[in-house]
Amino acid sequence: MNRSRFACGYRHWLVFLTVLVGFVGVGYRLVHLQVVQGEQLRLQAESLREQHQTYAARRGNIRDSAGQLLATSSILHDYGVDQTRLHPADRRKLPELAELLQIPLPELERLIYGFEIPRQWLRLKRGVDDDTHRRISALDFKGVYGNRYYERVYPGRSMAAHVIGYLNRESTPVTGVERHFDFYLRGQNGWGRTILDGRRNEQSRFRDVAVAPRDGLDVILSLDRVVQHHIEEQITALVDGFRPDGVTVIVSRPADGFILGLGNYPTFDLNHFNRAPLEHQRNRAVTDVFEPGSTFKIVPTAAALELGLVNERTLIDCSLRSLDYRGRRVGLPSDVRSYGTLSLPEVVAKSSNSGTAQIGLLLGRQALHDYASAFGFGEPTGYPLGGEVRGILHPVSAWDGLTITRLPIGHAVSATPLQVHFAMCAIANGGLLMQPQVVRRIEDGEGRIVLEVEPVFRRRVVSRETAQRMSRLLAGAVSTEGTASRAALPNHHVAGKTGTTQKIVDGRYSRSQHIATFSGFFPAERPEVAITVVVDNPRHAGTGYGGLVAAPAFRDLALALINHLNIPPSDLRNTYVAFERNPADRLP
Amino acid sequence: MIDTRVIRLGRYAAHSRIDWINPLCLLALGIVGVFFIYSAQVYTGRTQYLNQIVWLLLGAGVYVTVASFDYKLLLKYSHWIFLAAILLLLLIWSPLGTERGGAKRWLDLRFFLFQPSEAAKIGVLVICASILARSEIGTIKDSLEVLGKLALAVLIPMFLVLSQPDLGSAMVLPPMVFAMLYTSNLSTRFFAAALALFLLLVAIVSLDVFNYHRFLVKNDLQPIVDRGIYERQSWVPLRDYQRDRILSFAAPGSIDPTGISWNLNQSLISVGSGGLTGKGWTQGTQAQLGYLPRGVAHNDFIFSVLAEEKGFLGSMTVIGLFGLVLFNGLRIAASARDRFGTLLALGVTVIFAVHIFVNIAMTIGLIPITGLPLPFLSYGGSFLLSCCVLQGMVQSVYRFRKDF
Repeated sequence: MNRSRFACGYRHWLVFLTVLVGFVGVGYRLVHLQVVQGEQLRLQAESLREQHQTYAARRGNIRDSAGQLLATSSILHDYGVDQTRLHPADRRKLPELAELLQIPLPELERLIYGFEIPRQWLRLKRGVDDDTHRRISALDFKGVYGNRYYERVYPGRSMAAHVIGYLNRESTPVTGVERHFDFYLRGQNGWGRTILDGRRNEQSRFRDVAVAPRDGLDVILSLDRVVQHHIEEQITALVDGFRPDGVTVIVSRPADGFILGLGNYPTFDLNHFNRAPLEHQRNRAVTDVFEPGSTFKIVPTAAALELGLVNERTLIDCSLRSLDYRGRRVGLPSDVRSYGTLSLPEVVAKSSNSGTAQIGLLLGRQALHDYASAFGFGEPTGYPLGGEVRGILHPVSAWDGLTITRLPIGHAVSATPLQVHFAMCAIANGGLLMQPQVVRRIEDGEGRIVLEVEPVFRRRVVSRETAQRMSRLLAGAVSTEGTASRAALPNHHVAGKTGTTQKIVDGRYSRSQHIATFSGFFPAERPEVAITVVVDNPRHAGTGYGGLVAAPAFRDLALALINHLNIPPSDLRNTYVAFERNPADRLP
Repeated sequence: MIDTRVIRLGRYAAHSRIDWINPLCLLALGIVGVFFIYSAQVYTGRTQYLNQIVWLLLGAGVYVTVASFDYKLLLKYSHWIFLAAILLLLLIWSPLGTERGGAKRWLDLRFFLFQPSEAAKIGVLVICASILARSEIGTIKDSLEVLGKLALAVLIPMFLVLSQPDLGSAMVLPPMVFAMLYTSNLSTRFFAAALALFLLLVAIVSLDVFNYHRFLVKNDLQPIVDRGIYERQSWVPLRDYQRDRILSFAAPGSIDPTGISWNLNQSLISVGSGGLTGKGWTQGTQAQLGYLPRGVAHNDFIFSVLAEEKGFLGSMTVIGLFGLVLFNGLRIAASARDRFGTLLALGVTVIFAVHIFVNIAMTIGLIPITGLPLPFLSYGGSFLLSCCVLQGMVQSVYRFRKDF
């Protein structure tokens, strides 16, 4: 054994050197990793494990005036399986899980266990309700879990669909109250940081909520579910009876402009908005215009009363076919039959075109236009949920020779049902034109009022006295003498006006297609409710659709509302309507 | 009189002059290991650090026992030790053998799982040292007989370990034998040839892995997912998971970073994000949150845990302790009484060096991931015990060194 040769040889040193080189290599690499790249890798580790998380706020409810839910956000769970966390012992719980999730057992088994490479998330079922979620949690099936989310639900389905509106698939509010009161409804999402572990699962013990979510506020509508229900029942009856192209019914309180109910046909189910054509989603009450026809006659009549050009005893020769006006002969529109000479109440009651045209001539072009404008024609009503069109009221400069006699009977003007309704409400409300309102107030989750919506007064159109006189004239139209006798109520005086217009099809007045309208209010002496019914193209033989189609619908609806709104009856011993004749006060 | 006194004095001195550097360093490393095994598992609530304490105490006993015997006994019984090791390796095929994760590496001894490859390390070391100590070698021609014996002594256990399969443990043996041969003054030509062979092997593996990658791309296959398809048609006896590891090391971008490069990337992030001073004990987010996979954080990747929580300074302290152990081992080898002692101490040191470098280098991305644990730090009973036996031999070599 030659130790000296062995231990002191350069070979021994070479082994020593090799080890040394190893150390230097490792040391160099560590310096690079930990000192040079350290900060960068620390940030990388941080970004891997920290996740910014938003905590969704719950969207506020939409309720009717009685607090009934019209739109709400329900808590649902999106169920899935993390196949990496399955536990063999849970397999026996499979039938129970299948029943709770309502997935056929073989399919569930395939979904959960039928994998080659385990996945961390495989959806089993969306839309699992909270109660089922609790029962599944109690089952403690490892790897199967649900993620909470909110879904907008409309318990009334198609009820007041055009007013409430909906959220689209991206949860963006698109129409109605949902969109225009989104500011109050949406609430404020919270946010925070959370830590993910190596399997990308959230570690709830590190969850840190920097800003808690603030739930949305409740929006309380002026709409009344019961009123709305009656409206929609009435619409259904109209649709069944007359197969119209469209129907709009508006019910509001004349005194403050709050809408109690608004319904359109065709309509759609808010929960399945995507199945309905856009056509059905239109709120025809504000988006569609028509020639208001006879319902417009309140404008020249009230104007002439206000200006003192006529009174209740004024007689008008309604048999005239033409008249000299400002040195020119103008033709007067014809009536269904020749009425002869009528007093002003009779002109209104029988809805004489000739008579009303003569009142228009009496007013003159500028006054006629200005009063039409004052009643709100040709301008938006200020409906708070958007989508509104202004209709057409031509300035005097754009009128042709016929306009002066056609405008008074509601031709050469186009308006939305809501404009017609609110013009009528101005009469009911003592001459004050109000802005339509849909939202009563905003409340927080505990029912504390955050914001109370005040009625918005637009302008005085005519004096209180004129409005009351006009009401009496309109009550005549609903009397046995008038066109709207079918709108009469047994215990209440009703004031209202029918309208029947030929639809303009391809730029011409159609002989076969009409729009039947009735707009009125009751009790006539102190109006509680105003109702407007517009039926587009009812399939019905004969003429006078406004009186035959729309007026009965008004009556049926009014009867239903009297009970619900507890409207006291009129004192029927006083004759509200007075047909008087004054031979001295003859037109022209 | 005087002579006797000198001899007595000498004996006394021989018994008193114990090497304190290695045992103290190793004790320190062992304690550090317990702390970081605890840290690696504190989040999950597992308590394997307690087992590790028991193993450390047992290991200390084993160390003292082995160190108290003269290592000459090993020379005397080297064949029996070797045979015992082979027997233990063969026992894996008996009903005692236990399979974990597709590899049959353990013997189920009721109270713990024993890894026979650890015993094989000791057996091969002792037999090789004994063969080389008994013979004189020089040129290849003169040493053919010795080399033949050595080849048998190394290749039989290596084959058995590889068949488990346990590439990592098998890889420890060749460097050890080569180091022994080298210091035994075997002709340089032998090493030149060995180096050439090694390079050839590297070239073959590289080509094979390159082909593997091309095969995957061509057939639109995924690594991990489609493991086992390529290995059926390749004549290179590598498994696809090993190819995946090499591939993820050589070209980390070429394969899914959340897949097979995950361990490596997360280990790099762990070590690097520790920075200069670390995030603090039990504060390492990578280890705590399982970015370092929980199955390996407390054993093969314990260094990453330590590097993350104690930073560059902590890592260098541990590496410094390992350095002391290794260089002190070489010093003891040089000061041994005879060639057998030198070879033993050298072999132990090389085994430790391979473990330390391969383990640390893989956690910091210097070499592909190989399942070799870090001595005294990684969790594991058999490994800790075999480390204590090996270090006990070194102590024995030091205590019975030549000057007495």
